[in-house]
Amino acid sequence: MSAIVSVRDLRKRYGEIDAVKGISFEVTEGEIFGLLGPNGAGKTTTVEILEGLRRADGGEAFVDGIDVSKEPAKAKERVGVQLQQSAFPENFTAKETVELFALCYGVKVDALALLEDVDLADKANQRQEKLSGGQRQRLSIATALVNRPRVLFLDEPTTGLDPQARRNLWELVRKIRGDGTTVFLTTHYMDEAEVLCDRVAVMDHGKIISMDPPQKLITALLDRGFSKPVIQQQANLEDVFLDLTGHELRED
Amino acid sequence: MRQALLLTVMYLRAYVRDRTAMFFSLVVPLMLMLIFGSLNLGAFGKVSLALDDQADNAASQQFASALEKVGTLDVKREPADTALTKLRRTELDMLLVIPRDFAIAPTRAGQPVPTATMYGNAARPQQVSVGEAIVNELITQLSFAVNQSAPVVKIEQKDVEGVRLRYVDFLVPGILGVNVMQLAIFSVAFALVVDKRRGVLRRLMATPLKPATFLAAQVVTRLVLAALQVLVLIGVAVFLFDVHPVGGILPLLVVALLGAVLFLTIGFALAGWAETENQVPAIAQLITLPQFFFSGVFFSKDAAPEVIRPITNALPLTFLNDALREISVQGATIWDVRMQLLGLLVWTVVGFLLAVRFFRFDRF
Repeated sequence: MSAIVSVRDLRKRYGEIDAVKGISFEVTEGEIFGLLGPNGAGKTTTVEILEGLRRADGGEAFVDGIDVSKEPAKAKERVGVQLQQSAFPENFTAKETVELFALCYGVKVDALALLEDVDLADKANQRQEKLSGGQRQRLSIATALVNRPRVLFLDEPTTGLDPQARRNLWELVRKIRGDGTTVFLTTHYMDEAEVLCDRVAVMDHGKIISMDPPQKLITALLDRGFSKPVIQQQANLEDVFLDLTGHELRED
Repeated sequence: MRQALLLTVMYLRAYVRDRTAMFFSLVVPLMLMLIFGSLNLGAFGKVSLALDDQADNAASQQFASALEKVGTLDVKREPADTALTKLRRTELDMLLVIPRDFAIAPTRAGQPVPTATMYGNAARPQQVSVGEAIVNELITQLSFAVNQSAPVVKIEQKDVEGVRLRYVDFLVPGILGVNVMQLAIFSVAFALVVDKRRGVLRRLMATPLKPATFLAAQVVTRLVLAALQVLVLIGVAVFLFDVHPVGGILPLLVVALLGAVLFLTIGFALAGWAETENQVPAIAQLITLPQFFFSGVFFSKDAAPEVIRPITNALPLTFLNDALREISVQGATIWDVRMQLLGLLVWTVVGFLLAVRFFRFDRF
């Protein structure tokens, strides 16, 4: 498997603040890669450099073999992007929103089929601003898939969603990976990273402090003698919540 | 190019769906035109004259009916005391009291004649002097008739047919200009600041779409809307107010669109500068309000105090309104209004530089 994203000694400063302090990593083709970290760790800056939205101050970043700082326009054609705040022009229907983005990439798409893929076919003619949070995130992913990207960047895709909508989105991400697209996501939900990601990089204060498959990181921690106070509890409150309210997706 | 056109179509479709935006870009200007058009400000109007005929004899009735035949006068029968109250409230221009001893009879020089009293509203001197002239003329005619003498000089009246300028003829080009300004500045500034703050522009910039293509689509969308607005307003002016744009509708449209381009550059500069949509109305009003009053929209630009007239004469909307008015009222051609267009061009360059300075995609 070859590296589809490769970053070497990447740096970015905002005035006095070093947001990204020389990080290096590679993402393998076909995996779901997670960039984890608390708020302000530098995740979004890193992703936005890879998306061609920001210029790095130093280092190199390649996406699908393209140097994003030298050819940002070409890099943009190869990636799909979901920004942290997904907002679209007002008074566009869901279908028109997908068509708008297809036009931005200069490609023709079957907008209905794409909406079908993200389970929004029945909302095709509804205005996007009237969609629920989860629906809007799925629409956002549909717009990110119009150009059949090699890498899909998802920046905190489940922030603000209810447990049902989160699980539904995880399913969608797995399906997209199943279709051959590499997924690069950021999150600060550890459960999300644990069930979804093949590999994670943990970022803090602008540096990557650890990188491995989630299970390997957990095993390593246990090997270092870590032990949680063991509470014999076979379920948690989220399990209770999902049991009470069901797994089906809620749309209001 | 094709991409920009398709984008324009998409944005137009969304815009038409936006009821609030449609309301502001069509209904409000129409309301302005209907209200001000029916007010007929600035017209001389009729002279309202109250008549208290205390004689009520054959002679006074002959005189009164002669007065009532004069088209310029709006004659009402009214007792003197109530009419005087109305005069003080400026609900009347004049009051004419015909005395009890009124008669039209041959006289000799030096013989006492009946005295009619005329009260004039000091607040409406023009109307009063016209009314006085008419009443005096009537008395002279009656005198000639009874004295069987002919006037020593006869005046033959010839009218010079100038452009028949009613207030609404003056108003319509001003309404066109001010609405082009409002549409261009407000619609761009509001929509783009909202899109900027909500991250829409950032999301679009994450696609290979070129900023120039996006901007072209935004500009063309507004120009189409401005053209629609201008055509609807001209249509209403022609069919409802019987206004005839002497210089033709096409030159009006062309000049209005040149004005729209100018104000769009200012809208983009404002959209780039403002951080939130709350800042937009404040600054937009600051830019548009002085032009609303001093650029000859509802009344002549010469109404501005003399000291600031060099400034008000150089305002963008003044150039636009002057050009539109000369075409609409005087039948000027595009070439005739080239100086005004030059003024618009200078402002467009200024606006463009401001827009380039403030509207930066890399900051979104």
